[in-house]
Amino acid sequence: MIEVQGLYKSFGKVKAVQNVSFSAANGQITGLLGPNGAGKSTTLRMLYTLLKPDSGFARIDGFDVTAAPLDVQTHIGVLSDSQGLYPRLTARENIRYFGQLHDMQGEALEKQMEQLIGLLDMASIADRRTEGFSTGERLKVAIARALVHDPRNVLLDEPTNGLDVKSTRAMRQFILRLRDAGKCILFTSHIMQEVAALCDQIVIISNGEVAAQGTPAELLRKTGRDNLEDAFIAALGSEEGLQ
Amino acid sequence: MKKVWIIFIKEMLDSLRDYRSWSTGLFWAIFGPLMMGGILMMIGSSVRDEIDKPLTLPVQYAENAPNLIRFLEQHEVVIEPAPADPEAAVKRGEVNVVLIIPEEYADDFSASQSATVRLVLDNSRQSAQVDINRIQDLLEGYSAYLGRLRLIVRGVSPEVIEAVIIEEVDVSTPQSRATLFISFLPYFIIFAIFNGAAPIVTDTTAGERERRSLEPLLINPAPRWVFVLGKLLAAFPFSFASLAITLIGFGIVFNVLPVEDYLGVQLGLTAATLLLILLVCLPIVFLASAIQMLVASFARSTKEAGTYLPFIALIPSLPGLALAFFPVKPELWTMLIPTFGQQILINQFMRLEPVSTSDAVVSTLVTLVLSVGITLLAIRLYNREQIVIIKS
Repeated sequence: MIEVQGLYKSFGKVKAVQNVSFSAANGQITGLLGPNGAGKSTTLRMLYTLLKPDSGFARIDGFDVTAAPLDVQTHIGVLSDSQGLYPRLTARENIRYFGQLHDMQGEALEKQMEQLIGLLDMASIADRRTEGFSTGERLKVAIARALVHDPRNVLLDEPTNGLDVKSTRAMRQFILRLRDAGKCILFTSHIMQEVAALCDQIVIISNGEVAAQGTPAELLRKTGRDNLEDAFIAALGSEEGLQ
Repeated sequence: MKKVWIIFIKEMLDSLRDYRSWSTGLFWAIFGPLMMGGILMMIGSSVRDEIDKPLTLPVQYAENAPNLIRFLEQHEVVIEPAPADPEAAVKRGEVNVVLIIPEEYADDFSASQSATVRLVLDNSRQSAQVDINRIQDLLEGYSAYLGRLRLIVRGVSPEVIEAVIIEEVDVSTPQSRATLFISFLPYFIIFAIFNGAAPIVTDTTAGERERRSLEPLLINPAPRWVFVLGKLLAAFPFSFASLAITLIGFGIVFNVLPVEDYLGVQLGLTAATLLLILLVCLPIVFLASAIQMLVASFARSTKEAGTYLPFIALIPSLPGLALAFFPVKPELWTMLIPTFGQQILINQFMRLEPVSTSDAVVSTLVTLVLSVGITLLAIRLYNREQIVIIKS
């Protein structure tokens, strides 16, 4: 459960996020859609505690991101824009490291890792050093290490960026499975087809502000259009930056 | 604290697998001893060559002073004919020194007057110094010997002309005479400590940012000081290993090479001395890791860090270089400068001088306090949100 209320964030004179409010429920996929530079990643970074909001608040499972960052961190799994791995460690060692940093150890950790490795179909690469992995293989490791502590809330920043068609499909399947497992999923994208295909809730962000939000059906009704693409454009006011 | 250990173990494993980095560090650790060994052997062999070689002396008009020539030959001087133009030959460096015996020598000598001989030499030529000194000593010896004989012939005791006798009491132990050589040692030791830590520190900070793994790492639930401390501690074993290897290297060089033959002195680099040096250098392991970590954390890439760190390693080594030319007495103020105090202590240990415990304690404490301060600064840096905004 993620609640965001009146978030503001500026970098010098650049107003990256202005008065963003939305909430994301458990068992649902919430998509932050917007052109590049709209403030999606900045919003997400405030949620995963690396940036502090100038004002407003955000709560994850009731924990405030500013007041209780450590509690927030234990309740989220994050696939950020930075997905760097440790090239001299094997995939399994990469995942284990993050598990240990989440206070996991021994049997429980190994079991959870094994489950994720099976789920992500990465048994064949699990004991290889990650140096030289393909983009898809690297992404699998990054996802596994983000979810090794079985968090209830999953934040994904442009998770299909740079993936080929096959990997993109696998990624979407995986996100749907997470939803079916009852997780609260928040992900950002600038690809409207992707958001349309996956999301139960859509938050459209433009120039750091929320332009529109609701279920796909609500968005159609609010904008008076008969397809989502037109609805997005109507909400944004221009086609700039959308694919 | 448990997470500090987790991070430490991960960084150790990661760094040990990066054998290229630590083998480069290893090279720096043995570079000092190898270079010192090489210099010692070169100096040693050239000094020994010149002393062992019989002195050949070109003499012009040797027939004017047969007794002097005989005296020189008795002292293992090989007399050979002088070149046609002695001054030009010395100037060109063909011969080191030429003795010219003027025609009036024999007459002056027979008349018991001061007879003049002329030495042609070039005082600015370093390589000729040994020959010049030896021939001057021999000629003075001959002169003094004859002078005494003349006094005795006249019934005067030779002591009449020796109003003052200079008796030398040399208080330098054999070790301290080799100070010039060993005063370069602290330089290499400090350098090795910094270089041992540098590759690890670079990889765990700037490298983490460069490969875009810093952001995911910092999202893990732990206060930032845990990450800083884990990474800092991971540099210690490598820095320490570099220090230990350098010291062992110096121990081998100075104990295996016949330094006594080369320099006429024995150096006090026993196992016990090396251990004491190791102990006073331990705080520098902390300092070198912390300061390099702070600097590398500002760098966007390992390459950028690689341009900063060598300067950091150089700064504390500068006093060591100065020490080689301007020896400083161990006073309290010198102990207040981290790395400088240790270099003076190292010098004292090697010269087998008594080392004041309070000096060692002050030097250690000051270094530790500074290191803790720098570590706190690094933690502050990691607590700022800019740490993840700086893009690689």
